[in-house]
Amino acid sequence: VNPTQRVAWFNLIVVISTLFLVLALVPFLGQASLGGMGTLGLLGFSVFFYRRKPGRVLADERDGLILGRAVVIAYSVFWLAFVLAAALLAPAIFGQDGSVPVVVVQTSVFGGLIVFITVLSVATLIQYSRGTGNAE
Amino acid sequence: MPNNGSAGIHNRIRRLRFDHGEMTQQQLAEGVGVTRQTIIALEADKYLPSLLLAFRLASIFGVKVEDVFQYQDAQSVTSEDDKNSKKKTEAKN
Repeated sequence: VNPTQRVAWFNLIVVISTLFLVLALVPFLGQASLGGMGTLGLLGFSVFFYRRKPGRVLADERDGLILGRAVVIAYSVFWLAFVLAAALLAPAIFGQDGSVPVVVVQTSVFGGLIVFITVLSVATLIQYSRGTGNAE
Repeated sequence: MPNNGSAGIHNRIRRLRFDHGEMTQQQLAEGVGVTRQTIIALEADKYLPSLLLAFRLASIFGVKVEDVFQYQDAQSVTSEDDKNSKKKTEAKN
């Protein structure tokens, strides 16, 4: 398993753990449970998977291609979800004088990040399992 | 998600490794500057390398690129099959 795959697994685990944490906190904290989304900050530790080891190649052209495709897929899914959510939910969430509740803003930002990271990780892992990534 | 496979290009990397003192996948990977997973994918015909990597592979084995990679399109395979079946028919007659 190379560093790119490890990062994908790590990110997926962090996202799933965060969702579980937030859902577990809802009965106790209500809307404030969204603070649990701060656990997503752990994603920053993924850089440690790319620590240099003498004589070892950390990532090559195939890893780059796989990651590149995964980013395109993740961005497309994120953007579709974001636009659809904005279009469909707007009539339901706008409050008095067109105000947007704070919880919606938080959910949008964290939700977008979660969608992006999840799709990125899954797309990366699927491509590795299929052995694809042609330099064409 | 694209899955182009080897697109009619096959390689002799595994054969060449064994011909070169049973070189391990790790040794080859370090020699050409890629991960071992990439060598595994190459040998399984699941990945087409860049031109640069193809030349590096040929260079490490001391052979030409065409000695490592061979292209065979579907039409040529069909025509080869046709030729073989014609030869067999002629031989029977």
